[in-house]
Amino acid sequence: MDITTLGGQLLGIIPLGDIVLYVTTFNLFMFAAALVFTVLIAMSKTEKQVEAEFGTLNDREKKVGKDEFKVRRFLSIICGLATAGAMITGDLFNFTLFVTLIGIVNIGIVSAVKEVDVLDSAFQYGIIAMLATLPLFGGAALILAATGTLSMFEIVNIPSTAMMIFGSILLFIGVAGESGVAPFFATKAEMFRTAGSPFLVIIHLSSLLVIVRAIEVILLISKPF
Amino acid sequence: MNLMADILLNVTIAFLVGSVLFGIQRKVMARIQLRPGPPIIQHLLHTMKFFIKETVFPKTAAMPFYVVITVILCAIWVAAVIVGPVTQGPLLLLFAIFAIHKIVEHNAGSSSGSPYGKLSCVRAVFSAAAELPLFAVLIIIFLQTGTMQLSTIVAYQAEHGALIFTLPLAAMMFIALIISKSYYYSPLNITLAKDIVSGFETEHFGMLRGFIMISEAITWYMLLWVFLTVFFGALSPLMYLIGMVILTALIGAVNALTPILNPNHSVMTEITLAFIGIVGSIIMMFYI
Amino acid sequence: MDKIKSIGWIIIVISAVAILYALIFNPAAWIVYAISLIFIPLFILSLGLISMAQGKKEDDEDKTKEPFIGY
Repeated sequence: MDITTLGGQLLGIIPLGDIVLYVTTFNLFMFAAALVFTVLIAMSKTEKQVEAEFGTLNDREKKVGKDEFKVRRFLSIICGLATAGAMITGDLFNFTLFVTLIGIVNIGIVSAVKEVDVLDSAFQYGIIAMLATLPLFGGAALILAATGTLSMFEIVNIPSTAMMIFGSILLFIGVAGESGVAPFFATKAEMFRTAGSPFLVIIHLSSLLVIVRAIEVILLISKPF
Repeated sequence: MNLMADILLNVTIAFLVGSVLFGIQRKVMARIQLRPGPPIIQHLLHTMKFFIKETVFPKTAAMPFYVVITVILCAIWVAAVIVGPVTQGPLLLLFAIFAIHKIVEHNAGSSSGSPYGKLSCVRAVFSAAAELPLFAVLIIIFLQTGTMQLSTIVAYQAEHGALIFTLPLAAMMFIALIISKSYYYSPLNITLAKDIVSGFETEHFGMLRGFIMISEAITWYMLLWVFLTVFFGALSPLMYLIGMVILTALIGAVNALTPILNPNHSVMTEITLAFIGIVGSIIMMFYI
Repeated sequence: MDKIKSIGWIIIVISAVAILYALIFNPAAWIVYAISLIFIPLFILSLGLISMAQGKKEDDEDKTKEPFIGY
């Protein structure tokens, strides 16, 4: 199997010693998308949520305070950069590190909010994310033990064994828990009820893009062909 | 042909054909409900009209995201046109575009500050489970054909016959996906459901709405194009057109005859369909 | 001419020039992709910015401070 089977044309490789970053159209597109969103988040203001107050004629405004704004924007930018890194990295261990960083920062982005429901949800998501680090790193370790390398450029050329497939399944469970998709999305949906749309978008962006990349990584490792 | 001319031509075709397909869908729905229905070029007329309407930017909106998100929506679907009809590139990239489309829905909803948009935004996260059939389709096609390049998938079908006969359940999942992304009273599209006015588009007025409608037309064309290409192989332009009209009429009928599901039911329906599709396809692949 | 309209004119000129450059000079594929991804959407956006109608100045007050119309 070839790396170009999945990601399209190979635009170039960046050899950094043992780790070889490979850039395909697919990686480049997702990398650029993550960076564009990060730049926009860095310069965007937050929205104001205006709702009618019950029982009176006044409006109730939900705004993001200045201190909260600064902290959340900083964490969002880190999250955006980590996402971009996870899109382009050619090293399995770096990939898992970026994914865990995304998980940590995602909790940080909403933990500055003073709303009980949102914090509850962030707490539950945090537990899932913490639990998911075990299969995530375990999977990467199994693949390292089975192949002797972490560079995906190398792994692609090694015929897959049962241990590698098992490792990639563990990796997938880890990524799913860490990014809070499919079976775990219910823990995450509540987090989005708070104000501050530019910061919330990166939470969603990171999880979806990481899942798409994880599909590529897992197919490269387990190689059905 | 000049590459830029090729791209411009394909984007224009996608916009025009997509707009007319929307008109056909509304016509089919109207006739089923015994109404005369709007003219077939209604979507096109609406788009033009919105461009010359008065545009206001809400005071509560998160600038510049509120405006730029419409540009991003258009950009990702231009990218889809490049990956699809122009270069026949990797299928995985198209699915990355679908994922970013979800994020655009999410952010267009929340950046306006409207409660309806906000609900649509939370639903966009909730319906991330609907991405499950998407990736399942992808992996099943990969398992069957051993490739993700659209050009080689087309070549595979020229040799082995259309994939719709070998992977009917994957095609069913893809149809469910198209219904979940279809506009106008779709039973599964919870982000644009009518109980939250116009979902994430509620607070995009005037020319921004017109801009979104252009992207919507391209989106619809591309969804049907991907379905036809992946499951039927290389078709002539006329066959593409006929296929798109048939699919649009089919989905119009489905939308007219089904109730709009609430978010929980919609997500559960999609997960159930995905489960049937995945398990069924794998069983069919190995035992038949 | 106000700010939004002039921004619209600037963007439309830049994007039209970029698209024409790609049409006429036929540069490398990735440059064409970049141009079409960035400038086709911007071209449509600027068309909208130019063609959109804007409300009268006198109506501004009514829009920001909605008059109480009674319940």
